[in-house]
Order: sequence, then C-alpha cells, then structure tokens
Amino acid sequence: MIGVALSRWTMSYFATALIALIAAEGLMLAGFGYPNAAISAPQSLVLVHLVAIGWLSLLLCGALFQFVPVLVARSLYSNSLPLPTLALLVSGLCALLLGFLQLSGSIGSRFGFFPAAAILLGAGFALVIWNLGRTLWSARPLTLPARFVVVGLCSLAATVFFGVVFALVLGGVTTRAHLLDVAAFGLPIHIIAGLGGWLTFTAIGVSYRLLAMFMLAPELEGGTTHGTLYAGTAALAVAILGGIAAICTATNVMWAVGGAGALGLLGVALYAGDVVHLYRARKRRTIELNSRMAGVALANLAATVVLGIGLLVAGRFGDHVGVIVFLVSFAWLSGFGLAKLYKIVAFLTWLECYGPVLGKTATPRVQDLVTEPRANKWFVLYFAAAWCAAAALLFAMPLAFRVGIAAMLCATIGIGVQLMRTRRLANVNPDLRLPKGVHPPHLLHSWVQQS
Amino acid sequence: MTVSFVDVDVRPTLRAGGEPFGEIMAAIAKLAPDQGIRLLATFKPVPLFHVLGSKGFSYEAKELDGGDWEVLFSPGAATAPADNVAPAAKAATATDASAWPAPVQHMDNRDLDPPEPMVRILATTEKMASGEVLSALLCREPIFLLPELAKRGHGWRGGFEPDGKTYKILVRINAAKETAA
Repeated sequence: MIGVALSRWTMSYFATALIALIAAEGLMLAGFGYPNAAISAPQSLVLVHLVAIGWLSLLLCGALFQFVPVLVARSLYSNSLPLPTLALLVSGLCALLLGFLQLSGSIGSRFGFFPAAAILLGAGFALVIWNLGRTLWSARPLTLPARFVVVGLCSLAATVFFGVVFALVLGGVTTRAHLLDVAAFGLPIHIIAGLGGWLTFTAIGVSYRLLAMFMLAPELEGGTTHGTLYAGTAALAVAILGGIAAICTATNVMWAVGGAGALGLLGVALYAGDVVHLYRARKRRTIELNSRMAGVALANLAATVVLGIGLLVAGRFGDHVGVIVFLVSFAWLSGFGLAKLYKIVAFLTWLECYGPVLGKTATPRVQDLVTEPRANKWFVLYFAAAWCAAAALLFAMPLAFRVGIAAMLCATIGIGVQLMRTRRLANVNPDLRLPKGVHPPHLLHSWVQQS
Repeated sequence: MTVSFVDVDVRPTLRAGGEPFGEIMAAIAKLAPDQGIRLLATFKPVPLFHVLGSKGFSYEAKELDGGDWEVLFSPGAATAPADNVAPAAKAATATDASAWPAPVQHMDNRDLDPPEPMVRILATTEKMASGEVLSALLCREPIFLLPELAKRGHGWRGGFEPDGKTYKILVRINAAKETAA
C-alpha cells in the first residue's frame, strides 16, 4: 500500500510502558533499590531495567512502529509481528527481573531466569530490529532523521549483545574467558549504548521530525544536523567498538568512554543549536502543550550534560553517576516521552476514529480530544518533582528523594488518566463524539484501515 | 511543417504564489495549427505534460541556468506520457498515466498545522463531482491522506516540486472507480 497505515499494536506498547513506569516509581517510593541499596545491587538493577526496558524501550518501540513508516513514507514491514514481539519483551523482562531477585536471594527458585531472559529479550529485540530494519531497508536512500534511527537500532543491538552476555555469565551458562571479561568490564558500554545510543540518539532523530511537524518549523537538513549525526555516530562507535577492542586487548575501557564523551558532547552541542533554531524558526507562534513540555525535557538534557561536566571537573562524577542516570532517564527521556505521548495518542486516536468520515460529516479536531490545562499541571508537577528528587539524590537526602518520587508518581498517574481520557474520547463534546460510521476506539489496539 | 513558438512566461505568476494553468490554456486556445508555445516556468511542469499530451502536443523540456525550466510544446504526435514523466512523479502515481482534466479546485495548505491539510482536502473532495481534479500544495508528503484517498476510490498524482519543500498533489475524484469500471 502507498502511504502509511496505523500501527496496530502501538497502543498496547504505550499502555504496558506506562504500567512499567508507574511500577518503577512505586518501587522507588517504597524504598526499593537505589539509593537505599548500592547502584549496582540487584534491587537497583531491577529498577533500572524496569525503567530502561519496561518503560523507555517499549515506549520507543511502540512509537517507532508508527513513526519509522512516517519518516520513510513506507508501510511497516509487518504490522502483525509487533504483538508476539511485545509478548517476548514483556516475558523476557519479567525473567530478567526475577533473575536479579534470585541474585539478591529474595526468591529461592533455582530456575534459570537469566538464560530465559537472554533468549526472550534477545529474540524480542531481534524482531524489533528485523521489522524496523526491513522497513528502513526498503526506503533507501534514507532521510536524515531515519539515519539517526538506524544508528539507534545498531546501538540497541550492541546493548542487547552485552546484556545477553551478562545474563549468560550471571546465569552460569558460560565460563569462557572472553565472555567473563566482557561481563567484568563491559558495564559502561552497555549503559552508554542503551541510554545514549538506543534511547537518546533515536529520540533525537525522531525529535527533528516531530518538532518540525508540530511547530510548523522548517525541516533541518543542513550542516549542523549532519554534524549531530556524524558526531553522535562517531561517539557511539568509539564507545562500543573501541570499548570491545579495549576489553579484548585488556586496555582500560575508560579511554574509549572518555573519547566517546568528547565526541558526544560535540554532538549534543550541535543538536542544542538545531533545537533552538527549530523553536525560533517555527511558523506556529502559540505552541501546544507537547511542544512546550518537550522543550522542558530538552532543556533538562542540556542541564544534565552541564551537571555531568561540573561533576567531572570537580572529580565527583563517580560518586554521583546515579544522579546523572536518574536525570537522563526521568528528566530528559521520560519527560520527552510523556510530552510526545500526549500528542501521539491524541493524533492516532483521532485518525483511527475520524479519518474514515472526514469531510463527510462534522468531526472534532485533534485538539478536541485533549484538555491541555488539566494535563499541564501534571507535567509541571512531574518535572518539578524529578528535579527535586535528583537534588535529593545529589545531597544524599533519602526522605526528600521519596517525597519527590511520590510527587512524580502522582503526576505520572495524572498524565496516564489524561491519556486514557483521550483514548476513550472522553474530552470530546458528546454531540460530536460518535458521528454515524465512527466506532469507539479499542484501548489497546488500533483498527487498521484497509485500502 | 515549421513550428513557430509563442512565448508564455508564467514565472511571475508562480512567484506571486498564483496558479498559471488558466493562462497557459488560454494561450493554447489562441494558437494557429502550426504554432506551439515556449513555456517558461520556475519548475518542471510535469502535470502539464499529460494535459497537453492529450491535446496532441509533444514537448521538449530543458533546465535553464538558475533552476528555471523552458518547455517547447509543439503540435503533432504526442510522445507517450508514461515514458517521459520524471521518475519521481511516475513512482508516486497511483492511477494510470492518461491525461487528467485541468484542476477545478486549487488549495495552498502549506501553512496549516497537521492534520488540517488532510481535513481540508478530504472535505473538498466530498463536494466535487466525479472526474474533477483538485490540486493542492503541501509542505510534506501526505502519507496518512493517501490510503484514505485510495479507500474512497479517488486517484492521485503527487511529487515534490524542484524546491524540494513543496509537495504538489492532484486528486481526481472517483478515478479508481472509473478505471475499475
């Protein structure tokens, strides 16, 4: 089919992702894991992976199944694979979390949760890469934002590779010396490839198109955007390939990490310039909530980088790496994800319900599906709480951290309720809600129009 | 037969944001049997090749310095349009390559927030008669609109203009249904 259809299972990914975020915040509120436990303690790893895989990766996968086709103007290679993929990812995540609990002695079962997690997550992410990769492959030569996604998917492959090795070593499946080395020294690369490459770099690529689209700004294809792509790709290549080389030759991995950091900084600086340009050159003067809140998240990314440099200069980076990971995960990635989710859910729901009858009968506008003032207060609370919690971590105030997390949890539930109302068409004037020929949308999957 | 060419320079109209189709058709109507037109435009006027091809004109297009195009339309054997359409336009054509009538509706949707361009195009197509053509300018490829047009049985042709920023789509009402009939 020419053009792009709705992604059938994207809403299921979004719903599962939000549940994972709420669960992670609930655990942090209950005092589970970091900062009560060490950042590398099994309880902390439960939290980290619930956020990184359960929330951020599922959110990004759901979004990419819809937006990679938009970026390349081709249909998704398979619109039915995402459901089994989701089942593999969720069961793999559960196995991984159980594996960490087993490691901490919280559960007594001797079942091989780590090998199971390696197989299930490995297969799930392989299907993600296969489905999106085939879609991108059919659309060569690729547009600039799509190339960011390609680099993001390569980083995902690297992250999963390291993750699988860790799981096999922790699960006692392998004792090969090289793999033990990878498990012993590969953690920084796993984190950089995951948070920096897969999540951040892909989000940056998608942001170029989404910001331009929703603010009526010109599409950026100039030198600075190419510069961001090249500097970021080089940074990831140095971190991942250089890191693997360092492990194989028994050199200190931190050399690769340092080199990647310098290149990554250049990439972020170029990206910051592009973002400021996009906001300034926009034709739409009054911007919607999603673009305002994405702006806050982008400012948080910049602030996190500045804080990271400050800690590095002060020689305290190692002590506070948890604060940086927290800010990257919650102030930047989660904030940006929630902001864009707010628009994407409304837009996809509107298209699914009213697309078939547009022009034939009176239909609501996309903005009629949302009530921005209500959502606005939850977003403000979310960002304020995230910074308070980060400050509490920085100054080692565990009680204040939990108060901040409680506020984040309230805000997340508030935003979740708004998303649910949007999907249920609850904000639409009842006279306009269901004209003849319009079916109410299903909460978890989309009805895909056939042409 | 020696063909003499009448100059039709539509660049000022295009630069002012206008639609020169009427101007061109008026010039065509005034031609003597051995006359053709020398068209000057700011882009390669691919849709016009079909329209004038159906009226028995062949064409020769060349790009001038500065990105403008000169097209000589001569009376006589029309070249088969499918062979001469720019590859991008051919790839994006959803229906057969036969000539389409001149658009009766023109829209400039470049400054509208998404999904307003799609809403307006679909609303307009509902008011048009079978076989009529709508022309619309957009600031990106309307990827969610195309399946909806196909579902409603309309034909479309589209592609980016040489500026790389403006996407022009022609929609022919019920064209797919006519082809099938």
